[in-house]
Amino acid sequence: MADSIPSVIPSVTSSVGTPSVGSAPTGRPRAFAWNAGLVVGLAMLGVVAIVAVLAPIALGTQASGIGGTPNLGPAPGHPLGTDSLGRDMLARTLVATRSTVLMALAATALSAVAGITFGVAVWLAPHRLRELGLRAIELAVSYPTMLVAIIVAAILGQGIVQVVVAIAIANIAGFARLTANLAARIASNEYVTTARLMGVPAHLVATRHVLPNMAEPTLILVAGAFSGALVEISGLSFIGLGAQTPAFDWGTLLNDGLSKIVMNPVVVVGPAVALTFTSLAALLVGDGLAAAANPRSNTTRSRLVRGMGTPSPGTGEEDAVLVADGIRVEHGGSGRELVKDVSFTIRRGEVLGIVGESGSGKSLTASVVAQLVGEGLTASARRLELGGTDLLGRVPATTLAQRVGLIYQDPGTALNPALSLGSQLSDVLRVRLRHSRRAATDLLLQKFRSVLLPDPEGRLRQYPHQLSGGMKQRAMIASAMSTGPDLIIADEPTTALDVTVQREVLTVLKRMNRESGTAVLFISHDLGVVRALCDRVLVMKDGEIVEQLDDVAALSGATVAHPYTKQLLAATPAVTVTGANDTTEARV
Amino acid sequence: MSTLTAEPSTAPDPGAPGPNGAPGAASLAGAWRRFLLRRAGGLAVNLVLLLLVTFLIVQLIPGDPAVAIAGESATLAQVELVRTQLGLDQPLLVQLGTYFAGVVQGDFGDSYRYRVPALDVVAAAVPFTLSITLIAVLLLLALGVALGMGVGVATRGDRHRWLDLSFNLVTGLVSSVPTYVMATALVAVFAITLRWLPPAYSPAYGFGQAAILPIAALTISGTCSVARIVRRETAVILEQDYMRTARGWRLPALSLYAKHMLPNLLTTALTLSGIILTALLGSALVTEAVFAWPGLGGVIVQAIAIDKDYPVIRAAVFVIGLISLVITLVIDVILGLIDPRTLGEKRG
Repeated sequence: MADSIPSVIPSVTSSVGTPSVGSAPTGRPRAFAWNAGLVVGLAMLGVVAIVAVLAPIALGTQASGIGGTPNLGPAPGHPLGTDSLGRDMLARTLVATRSTVLMALAATALSAVAGITFGVAVWLAPHRLRELGLRAIELAVSYPTMLVAIIVAAILGQGIVQVVVAIAIANIAGFARLTANLAARIASNEYVTTARLMGVPAHLVATRHVLPNMAEPTLILVAGAFSGALVEISGLSFIGLGAQTPAFDWGTLLNDGLSKIVMNPVVVVGPAVALTFTSLAALLVGDGLAAAANPRSNTTRSRLVRGMGTPSPGTGEEDAVLVADGIRVEHGGSGRELVKDVSFTIRRGEVLGIVGESGSGKSLTASVVAQLVGEGLTASARRLELGGTDLLGRVPATTLAQRVGLIYQDPGTALNPALSLGSQLSDVLRVRLRHSRRAATDLLLQKFRSVLLPDPEGRLRQYPHQLSGGMKQRAMIASAMSTGPDLIIADEPTTALDVTVQREVLTVLKRMNRESGTAVLFISHDLGVVRALCDRVLVMKDGEIVEQLDDVAALSGATVAHPYTKQLLAATPAVTVTGANDTTEARV
Repeated sequence: MSTLTAEPSTAPDPGAPGPNGAPGAASLAGAWRRFLLRRAGGLAVNLVLLLLVTFLIVQLIPGDPAVAIAGESATLAQVELVRTQLGLDQPLLVQLGTYFAGVVQGDFGDSYRYRVPALDVVAAAVPFTLSITLIAVLLLLALGVALGMGVGVATRGDRHRWLDLSFNLVTGLVSSVPTYVMATALVAVFAITLRWLPPAYSPAYGFGQAAILPIAALTISGTCSVARIVRRETAVILEQDYMRTARGWRLPALSLYAKHMLPNLLTTALTLSGIILTALLGSALVTEAVFAWPGLGGVIVQAIAIDKDYPVIRAAVFVIGLISLVITLVIDVILGLIDPRTLGEKRG
């Protein structure tokens, strides 16, 4: 089926994520990464190339000389038997490598050149023409390649050149579409816009800026197209539309063999193995190129263990919801310490803020508390208790689901696009808390109303993309509150929202905290937001708590000690939070 | 500390679909209407293009089509007969008009070889090709998605490296085997060596028995291709924020993967299935030759390579094109039902 499904299909779901709870620090440099598949594939293609060059010279007479014993099975001197005219099948298979590979190469080259030219032309064309061209490409792509090839063969007749042209034409559309898509994506980049604004002519924009950036995906498509052309050309020869006697390729050999298969099955082995070998080589190269362009991280599963040492005394308070002592997070592969000995306590009804720049370890700290440590990270703590439950031991999923509510940074990506709000947000209530469908829906509706989500019943049936960012975040808050948690962990819940919506969401969050007494662990990089919401604030930098601010109200350059906090404070604009009763302006 | 007590401001969120949800439903109906209108228009354009292409098959033959069709050894009278039969002596526009008028009534002309309407020859073969292709696609999608998802989940975050490696090796190798080679291998093993199944179609065998090997040939390597893609997609989906949200709800594995992951995977699988189906249709045309399967492949090859039976070629090409168009449309409708967001996409 390499003849049909493109082996390299770009991932349909984009993996644009935002760093938040539990994500490992990334930012690895984008470099070409050799991998085993690529090396093996290239080596296999090298073997094919050598055979294609040498076999016709060395074995030409053996492959076409008539007069041997016909229809031999595996025999000494003829490991793959002989055909009906007594010619050695191994020699014929090896000699056919040249014609088969050359045909596939020619077809691939033709379709690549024509397709890329057409694709670029379509992209450079005026708007109307471009739309028409794109439509034509889409139409051509939706037709089976083999059908197009057969139409061309019907017009041009049978033969090697005709088949090459047929397969080339059939594959043009694929290249044209990739080129047009890539060109459109690259053309929207700023450097291309800049070049255009500076008056660089269109053809120069294409050759200087657009084409070089298409090399990688095009190369991957070439590998796939070669494999496809190989199989398709042999397929056409196999059904008698390709190479005609006395010319022969793997397809015709396979066809000859098939007619003798009952009597002498070994004769199909040569061409079958040769086709599969070459097609596999192209697939390995294609996959290898794709993997090299987009290396997967080598991560191991995450762990959370009890840290060494005795818990520091005095951290356990009577009304503590969460006691965390000595949290450490380490990157499993490199051993780098990302969070170093972080301890804090959250009291009932309290809003504790953790503020720091990105990479300071604040989200990782939250992920440890949430028991959602990212892949590849090892976390430990001397003590981690949630309302008296030891989180370092085996904690029933139900307990965690019920007692910890989570709110994430980007409500746009944190909600499942394929499920309605009602369906996904009531899952935790039904599956973990054993509510009936009815009870779960009623509870969720009640929470929707309390976060002032307009038309709560209608929202249940809606999908995330039908709601604005602020509404989605309110729905998330409602969901987090629906289990009646002791602690809500909110990881940058307003960062992805615009300023007016930010204020509404913060207000809802604060009201939830006031009314239900639920404690909140609030993560943010924005000291302005944090001081407006939190009772106490921890400042984190490079994985450590550098300062604890107990009196948020009196926050000023004079009351903070650490230089980093002073910097943060100096960089914080005034944030106004509007309530119905009064307006407090936080001043720096 | 600031006070954040009472009601939040009542200003509506920008970009919200409306105050009470009803516009959401209305916009969905609107999206469907626009989708169907656009697709109906697209289908009409594609049908006209298909008619043009099939018409041009004869016109584009290099040299004198009548001579090419009648064959090199034909007498002058025979060539003239072909010319009048195909109407090649008429002006081009008249030919086109006659052809269009005929096709609209289902008349592609009579087959030169069988002396019956060409469409009848093609229609007799369609069920054979379509049945094995559709069964194969359903099988390979189900198997491929299950296999790819299972392995994707099992190897997440570098768990079970041996599984990862062997999955890559096996599926890479198997998906590289062309369907007609797979078919030949299956015949060699199951029909000739083991004698479990018939090697080729014959009315003597039941359809079911004779169809097993062709369906298997079309299914096996395709399953591996789909599994590889689904596995990659699974790895991507597992890293999505919404999967982390679902883990944050501490949902059990069944709910996590079957409810929260699978629908997102299905969109991918269905989008793929359109490509797969049309491609598999092409593969089937070739693979049928291995089993002497009386489908469209045999009809079209016979008509091109041996009979130069142009009415049959035209009818077959038209019908295969029509099937591709209908399949694409049906899949997009199903996609729209599963995930309404796809309705707005410009495809086809």
